[in-house]
Amino acid sequence: MAAAESPSTALRRRDLCSRGIRLAGKMRADVVDLLDAYVEQQGLDASASVAAVEGVPLAAVERWDEQTGTQRLLENLAAYRAFRALLAQMLEEQREQLGEADVGLGRALAAVLLQVSAFAYHLEELLRLESRGIPGEEEEEDGPPPPPRLSLFEQKLRGLGVLRELAQWAVRSVRDLRQLTKPSPATGAAPGLAESP
Amino acid sequence: FLASGGLVQSCGHIIPESPVLALGSSFTALCILNESCLDFGNIYASQIIWKIKNRLVPKEQYREINRTVSSVTFNDTSSLATPLTCNILADGQIEQNIYGITVTVGLAPEKPKNLSCVVHQVSRFTYIMTCTWNPGRHTFLDTQFRLRYSWPEEIFPDCIPKDVNNSCTITDIHFFVNTVIWVEATNALGKAESDPLIVDPIDIVKPLSPQNVSVSSGVLPTVLKLSWENWISDAVMTLKFNIRYRIAGDMNWMEVPSEDTASPRTSFSVQGLRPYTEYVFSIRCMKEDGTGYWSDWSEEKTGITTEDQPSKGPPIWRIIDKSHSPASWTVHLIWKALKPFEANGVILQYEVTVRDKSSLSGPVKKYNVTSTNHTLQLPEGTYEVSLIARNSVGASPPSVLLIPARNSKAPVKNLRTIPKHDKLWVGWTAPNSFVLKYVIEWCLVSSSSDCIIEWQVALGDVQGINLKGIKPFKCYLITVYPLYADGQGSGQSVKAYLKQDRPSKGPTVQTKKVGKAEAVLTWNHLTVEEQNGFIRNYTILYKTIDGNETVVTVDPSKTEYTLSSLTSDTLYTVRMMASTDNGSRTGPDFTFTTQKFGRGEIEAIVVPVCLAFLLIVLLGVLFCFNKRDLIKKHIWPIVPDPSKSNIAQWSPQVPAKRNFNSKDQMYPEGSFTDVSVVEIEADDKKCFSEQDLKPFDLLKKEKSTSEGHSSGIGGSSCMSSPRQSVSDSDEGETTQNTSSTVQYSTVVLNGYRDQTPVQVFSRSESTQPLLDSEERSEDHAGGADSTAQRQQYFRQNGGQDETNTDRPCFERTKQIIHANEGDLVGFVQLQISGQSSQPLGLGMEKNTQEAALSNVLQTHTEGKTVRPETVEENPLSFDEMPKSYLPQTVRQGGYMPQ
Repeated sequence: MAAAESPSTALRRRDLCSRGIRLAGKMRADVVDLLDAYVEQQGLDASASVAAVEGVPLAAVERWDEQTGTQRLLENLAAYRAFRALLAQMLEEQREQLGEADVGLGRALAAVLLQVSAFAYHLEELLRLESRGIPGEEEEEDGPPPPPRLSLFEQKLRGLGVLRELAQWAVRSVRDLRQLTKPSPATGAAPGLAESP
Repeated sequence: FLASGGLVQSCGHIIPESPVLALGSSFTALCILNESCLDFGNIYASQIIWKIKNRLVPKEQYREINRTVSSVTFNDTSSLATPLTCNILADGQIEQNIYGITVTVGLAPEKPKNLSCVVHQVSRFTYIMTCTWNPGRHTFLDTQFRLRYSWPEEIFPDCIPKDVNNSCTITDIHFFVNTVIWVEATNALGKAESDPLIVDPIDIVKPLSPQNVSVSSGVLPTVLKLSWENWISDAVMTLKFNIRYRIAGDMNWMEVPSEDTASPRTSFSVQGLRPYTEYVFSIRCMKEDGTGYWSDWSEEKTGITTEDQPSKGPPIWRIIDKSHSPASWTVHLIWKALKPFEANGVILQYEVTVRDKSSLSGPVKKYNVTSTNHTLQLPEGTYEVSLIARNSVGASPPSVLLIPARNSKAPVKNLRTIPKHDKLWVGWTAPNSFVLKYVIEWCLVSSSSDCIIEWQVALGDVQGINLKGIKPFKCYLITVYPLYADGQGSGQSVKAYLKQDRPSKGPTVQTKKVGKAEAVLTWNHLTVEEQNGFIRNYTILYKTIDGNETVVTVDPSKTEYTLSSLTSDTLYTVRMMASTDNGSRTGPDFTFTTQKFGRGEIEAIVVPVCLAFLLIVLLGVLFCFNKRDLIKKHIWPIVPDPSKSNIAQWSPQVPAKRNFNSKDQMYPEGSFTDVSVVEIEADDKKCFSEQDLKPFDLLKKEKSTSEGHSSGIGGSSCMSSPRQSVSDSDEGETTQNTSSTVQYSTVVLNGYRDQTPVQVFSRSESTQPLLDSEERSEDHAGGADSTAQRQQYFRQNGGQDETNTDRPCFERTKQIIHANEGDLVGFVQLQISGQSSQPLGLGMEKNTQEAALSNVLQTHTEGKTVRPETVEENPLSFDEMPKSYLPQTVRQGGYMPQ
């Protein structure tokens, strides 16, 4: 497929990958900064251990280097769609909790949310270039039931967990996209994998 | 109009209500009358008139649609104005307003163009995006612009510009996502959108310039390290940099090659700098891949490189003063302080080493100097002077100057100067030999002060330099010396001006000498300060008061000129002009008058005149001399000889007269001719001296002074015609004197012993009239006698007037003067000789007493002493001497004419 793609498609793909890498890098930097602000703002301990966030695929996977490009893209897309929903919820909770008192934190959260959205768009575009159908969001949103109402502390801890997981995913996304830009045989095997549901 | 419920109800209305119209389009309005008013007011659509701002719309534009509706059409809305009113003519005369609308005319918005956006970094984490566009033409309407941007799946809030219509700033920027940006322009007539700009904001970032820039000097004196902070994280973008630097005080920036700073960094070491030099640095950055914009330059930071040893020795030169003693020089060593980039630090001192090259073992003298000159007293010779400059790091290479005994090497050739703007270019042709370097001396030439020498060193491979600091209109003396490895060449000099002007004053001319047709003009050269340039020539302008001006050009080296071909005795005005290449200046006028006569002209006139006069005088004299007889006849009338008169017949002894001849024969010498009186016939051949005759002169004088005696004689001449006497006395100026009254006396001397006495006629003061017969007889006597007589008169006259022109006569006169007393004695004797012997005896005694007198006198005296005797001897024979008559005074008992 890679051989069949037109030069403009290849250029577009390379551009999207490049931009995605940089966006993921910036997103990670922003999330790291946001984590510090968040921990301080929420009165949490930075070393506090948080359970895995529900609905978010784990960034750390085994046999990562054996994944196909499409697979990587799909996993990334699933993760960032989850992050988008979680961050939107965090932003809403944040507004409810603090009102307009901490504009900075809310603005930073909004910025990260936008970056997550933008990265998801990048992933969708890449999938579109690979002639892959994009999984519907509604389907996913409808899939898992809405999370139970959590206490304020649990909300804070979950928010901390979301941001940490996002930071990790940002790192992984950079690696995934770099991998996609390389003309590796794994990319060639991607259609086969993609075809399998 | 109807009042209904307290409100005024209109009788009609216009459609459309307050429209907004496109400029240039056509427009039709309808005025619709209310039915109620038709009945009540009896008005119809045909009565409707349209007005624009009180200006009636032409009826051609109306159209009555039905009895209640009238329309008006405007083909071009540009002719519309507010308000547009619908009016009716009630009763055909009264105009009443039915309704009015406001018409707004404008344009639909144009499509905004040239949309561009820049993302400005305003703080470490904050970015804003400012987009600008061209809003297009003015619409005359309220037009709203809004900047819109979106992601494919995200639409962001619009950015609405405030107070402007061509830019807007978005504060919520997200990088790494392509964003679609466009501008929408909307007004009542429409909406327009710009072409979308699709850009990732990260590609249009103008980052903040690096912050906290610092400069630190390294170990090397040519390196400075520049450090800074980047205010943009690598996560957002990586940067490349530009570093520029300049020497403090210099406005020209240098840049570090961009490829050296094309990678992200926070420090850079700038190399190749000058030691001990203050540099100013500045830095900027942009996205590493070159997209976006360069940041502004950072604030300037300065740093100084460390010192290094001086890179070269100071240029050195010398001025040798030999004025005090030829054998001993005063050598002024002068050198220039090293330029900062040569000194490489603070020069602490100079070390001067002087080595006498004339002797191999000559002592080497060293001097440490802190100033830039040093004076040495050196005996004449050849020296090698070396100079090094020392700073805290080390010493410079030495500068060597040879001071030779004389400048014996080849000089430069073809030395010339060319002004170039504010610099004076000095060029020369190099000598054939290899020249190490050249020393160019120059100084401002002044008439009032010494030339203060400035100098400069040029390398041996150049053949011209620019002299800086040269003032215009000043004369500079420029000298170029070539320096060889083994000595120096003689200097070649040239005078030059950077810029010339006309002289500040003209020469003052005056005359040195003025002649008839020429005048020598003289003037002084202008001082060098007054010249303002090279005097190319002097121009003399001279003219008469009413004449044309004559112009003469004179070589500038001259200070004198002779004007020729001038008109004599004429007032001339002369002035003088000095000219440089850039103009002339005229001096004050000077006037002079040429002379009337030329040199020697007066002499040429006077001398010939004098000569002619002299010639005339001479000719006159010669003429007089030749015509003296004639003249004498007029001046000295011929006095008739009484002895020849008729009356003399009573004295028949005429022959006595003839004795004159014998006397002449006896005394032919002219020296006796003036002796007119006494003649003694004697045997002895003694020459009677003049003094012998003198007493007679004296006698004459005595007589002339004693007119009483003369008058006695005159009185005795009663026989003579008184008329004649008067005529005689009228003859000349001497008529009042004895000359007019010609008196003759005859001294009759008896011959010694038996010798025949000689009768001598002497001039007398007698005024006795002469008879015609006497004159006749005298005329008859004529011949040699008369001639001799005339000669006697002449001589006598000459002797009296001219005091003896003959030498012997003069000598004798002297003797007479000495023998005055004797003369008087003789005279007395003569006077009384015919009276008595007594006195004669007395006279003899006297004569005896005066025997010591000169021989001549003695002889004379002796002769005279004889005479009384002779008179006495012949007292009775007196009558027998008819030819002689004696005045009464002489002979008392003689003939008395009465």
